[in-house]
Amino acid sequence: MAPILLWLILVLCLLISVVKYLMGIILKFSFPSSKARKDYTYEPTVSVLMPCFNEGKTVYETIESISKSNYPNEKFEVIAQDDCSADDSYEWMLKAQRDFTNIRIRTGRNEVNSGKARSVCNALQHSTAEVIISIDSDCIFHPDAIRELTACFAEPGMGSVGGRVGVRNPNDSVITAIQTIVYYSAFQLYKIPENWTRSVCCISGCLFAIRRELLLEIEPVIRARHWFGIPVNQGEDRFLTHQTLLRGYGTYINNDALCWTTVPNTLSVLFKQQLRWRRSIVRDFFFTLRTLPQHVWKLHPNTVLTLVLVPLGALVGFLVVVTALTTDPLAWAGPLPLITALGIGAVLTWVIKKYSAREAVAHPLAFAAYVAWTLVSSLFLTPLALCTMDSADWGTRIIEQTEPQEVPVGNINS
Amino acid sequence: METSTVSTSPSAAASPAAVAEPKRAPVKQSLHYRLVIALYRIFAIAVLYLVLAGILAYAFVMGFYAVNSSWAAPVILSAVDEKSLDFRDKLVISQQTIEDLKVDSNKLQSGLTEMKKHRGALLELEPELQQAIARERSHNRTTGPELATLDQQKQADNVKTQKVLAQLKEVEANINKDLSAGLITKGDAATQLAALNTAQGAYTDSRIAEILLTDSVLDKTTTGTNSLDVLEKQAELRSEVAQLDVAISVAEKQFQEESRQIDRLRQAIITAKQSPYYLNASGQQRLNFAFVPYDNQANAVAGAPVYDCYLNMVLCHNVGTVKQVFTGEEQAVHPIFKTQIRGFLVQMNLDHAESAKSKTVFLGRKPVLF
Repeated sequence: MAPILLWLILVLCLLISVVKYLMGIILKFSFPSSKARKDYTYEPTVSVLMPCFNEGKTVYETIESISKSNYPNEKFEVIAQDDCSADDSYEWMLKAQRDFTNIRIRTGRNEVNSGKARSVCNALQHSTAEVIISIDSDCIFHPDAIRELTACFAEPGMGSVGGRVGVRNPNDSVITAIQTIVYYSAFQLYKIPENWTRSVCCISGCLFAIRRELLLEIEPVIRARHWFGIPVNQGEDRFLTHQTLLRGYGTYINNDALCWTTVPNTLSVLFKQQLRWRRSIVRDFFFTLRTLPQHVWKLHPNTVLTLVLVPLGALVGFLVVVTALTTDPLAWAGPLPLITALGIGAVLTWVIKKYSAREAVAHPLAFAAYVAWTLVSSLFLTPLALCTMDSADWGTRIIEQTEPQEVPVGNINS
Repeated sequence: METSTVSTSPSAAASPAAVAEPKRAPVKQSLHYRLVIALYRIFAIAVLYLVLAGILAYAFVMGFYAVNSSWAAPVILSAVDEKSLDFRDKLVISQQTIEDLKVDSNKLQSGLTEMKKHRGALLELEPELQQAIARERSHNRTTGPELATLDQQKQADNVKTQKVLAQLKEVEANINKDLSAGLITKGDAATQLAALNTAQGAYTDSRIAEILLTDSVLDKTTTGTNSLDVLEKQAELRSEVAQLDVAISVAEKQFQEESRQIDRLRQAIITAKQSPYYLNASGQQRLNFAFVPYDNQANAVAGAPVYDCYLNMVLCHNVGTVKQVFTGEEQAVHPIFKTQIRGFLVQMNLDHAESAKSKTVFLGRKPVLF
C-alpha cells in the first residue's frame, strides 16, 4: 500500500510539473495577457543591494555591469555589503567604487559573518529608494534589467518582480550544459503559469526586485528566522517571495530582465548549491504546512499546489527511488528515461539556440546525464538536506580559512 | 549580533564613511533549543550514517551479484501451484488417453485376427473351386462328344421309330376292320390297341430323352449359365479377399499408429515424472527446489553442497545438498536485478527448512570465503 501511495504522490507531482510546462507553452504563445503590464515611464528610485562573500574579482565585474545600466543614473544606487569575505572581495568592491563614478556606489562590511539574508537586511538600512533590487554578486546584468524590473511595478498589487537568469558558461562541462537547459526551461516555461496568476513561488535571488515598504515589513521576519535558535541565512529569495504572496501582493518574473550567472561546473560545487536549495525547499515546505490554512485562504490554488506538491515530490522522490532501486534496480538503466531525456534535451537545445544564442549548448546529448543527476538528487539531496537543517553557511562560497559564525538570535519573539 | 559599515562612492560622498547598522540586543539560544538541536544533530548523524551504510551495502550487493554466478534462488512450489496442478491435469489426461488407445488397439487387434482368419478361409476355397472347375471341364471334354454321338444315334432311332409309327394307323384300321368283321374279339382288339398306344408313348419318351440329351450335350460342349455362375462366385471370392486385404492393411496401420502414440505418451509420462512440478504435485511432503541460472550450471550437480548466507552473501553455512538436477529450461526473474533470466531447476535436500525461504543460496562453495 505504502509504495503505491508514494508512486501516486510522485505521479501527481510529475503530472503537475508536466501540466505546468504544457500550460507554459500555451500561455506563452496564446495568452499575451499572462504577461504583466509594463510602464517604462514609471521610474522609481532604486537601490541595488549586493551582498557579497568570497567572490573575489567577480564582484567588480558585477558592479561594472550594473554601472552600464540604461536606467537614469540619478535614480539608482548600488549598496554592496561584504559579509567578512576571507578573500579580496572587499578590495574589489572599493575599486569598483572608485572606478565607476557615473553611479552612486556605497560599500559596507559586516563586523561578523552574518549570511546573505542578513547582509541584504544590513544593506537595506542604508537605502531610501522606492524599489529595492537584491542581486547576487556573481552575476552580470543586462543594461535593461533595472528598467524592465521597475516597469512591472506599474501594475497595481505587484509586490516582487524577478528577472530571468541565464547561464554564462553553458559549455564548460556536461554539468553546465544540463543546468543551462534546466534554467532556460524553468524560466521560459515552468514559471509562466505562475506568472499568469501573478503568484511565482520562488523568484531567484540573482535578480529580485521588491517594493521598499514591503521589504521593510518583511525584514524583521527575515532577521528573526531561525531553526531552533540557529539563524537561517539561506533561501532568502524563496522566503521573500513566499512572504510577498502571503501579504497579498503579486509576484512575477519578467523574462526580459536578464542577468547572467556562472553556474557550478563541477559536481561537488553543484551538489553544495543544490543541497542549499533543497534545504530551502524543505524549510519552506515545513513553513507552508505549519500555516496551511492561511495559505489555502489567501493564495491562489495554483500557488498552494506548487508550494505543497513540489517539495512533497522531492521528499517522496527519495522514497520512490529507494523503492525502485530495491524492487527493479535496472529500470533506470532502461532506454525510456534516456530517450526521454535526450528528446527533451534535443528540443530545448534547439529552442535555446534559436531564441537565446548566447546560451546555446554545444552538446545536446549531455542532457542524457540528467537521468543520473535525478537519481543522485533524489537519493542524496533530500535526506542530506533534512539532516543539515541547522546549517547556516553560504554554501558554495565557503572557503577553508573562514568558518561561518553562528549568530545567536534566540527566540523569534525576543 | 552583526553590524555593518557602509562607505559611499566618490560621487556620493567625498570619502567612504562608516554607516553604523542599528544595534540589536543579542539574544541567547535557549536551553530548550540547545537540547532540541543536540538531539536533532545526533539523530541526523545517525540517519546520515544509516543512509550511507545503506547505499554502500546496496552498491556492494549490486556489484557482488554482477560478478558472482554461484547463486541459486530457492523456489517453494505449493501443492496448489498452478503449474503443478496444470501438470497433473495433463498427466491424468495423458494416462486416460493411453487407456483409451489401448482399448482401441485391442479391438483393432481382434478385428484384424478375425479378418485374417476369414481371408485365410476364403483363400482356401479358391483352389478347391479351381480344381472343381477343372475337373468338370475335363469331364465335359470327355463325355461331351460321347453324348453328342449318342444324341445323334438317338435322333436317328427316333426317325426310324417315327416311320414305324406312321404304319401303326394302318394297323389300327385293320384291327378295327377285323373287329367289325368279327374276325377278332373285342378283347383282342383292345389288347392290340393298347400295344399300339404303348408304342406311341415309348416314342414320345424317346423324343423327350433326345431333347434332354441335346441339352446335356450343349451344357458339356459350350459355356452355359451354370459355368457363368461358378465364375461369378469365383470373382466374388477374389473381390472379398481383396477387400479384406485393404481392411487388414488399414487396420494394421491404425494399430501401428496407435501403438506409436501409446509409446510416445508413455515416454512423455516418463519424462513428466522427472519434472519438479510432477514431483511437487504427486509428493506428500514439501520438496525444496531452486532456480539455477545457466551461468551456474557447473556447480549444479547432484551432491553439491548448498550454502545459505546472511545478507545474501556473508556468514554462509551449509544447509544441505543438491539432490537432482532437472533438465527442462525455466525462466525466472533475477532476485536482485529483476531481469528475466534463463536457467533450470534443481531439487535440494535441505537440513534447514528455513533456507528454502532465503532470497538466494549458493551451490558448490561459499561466495566470499566466510
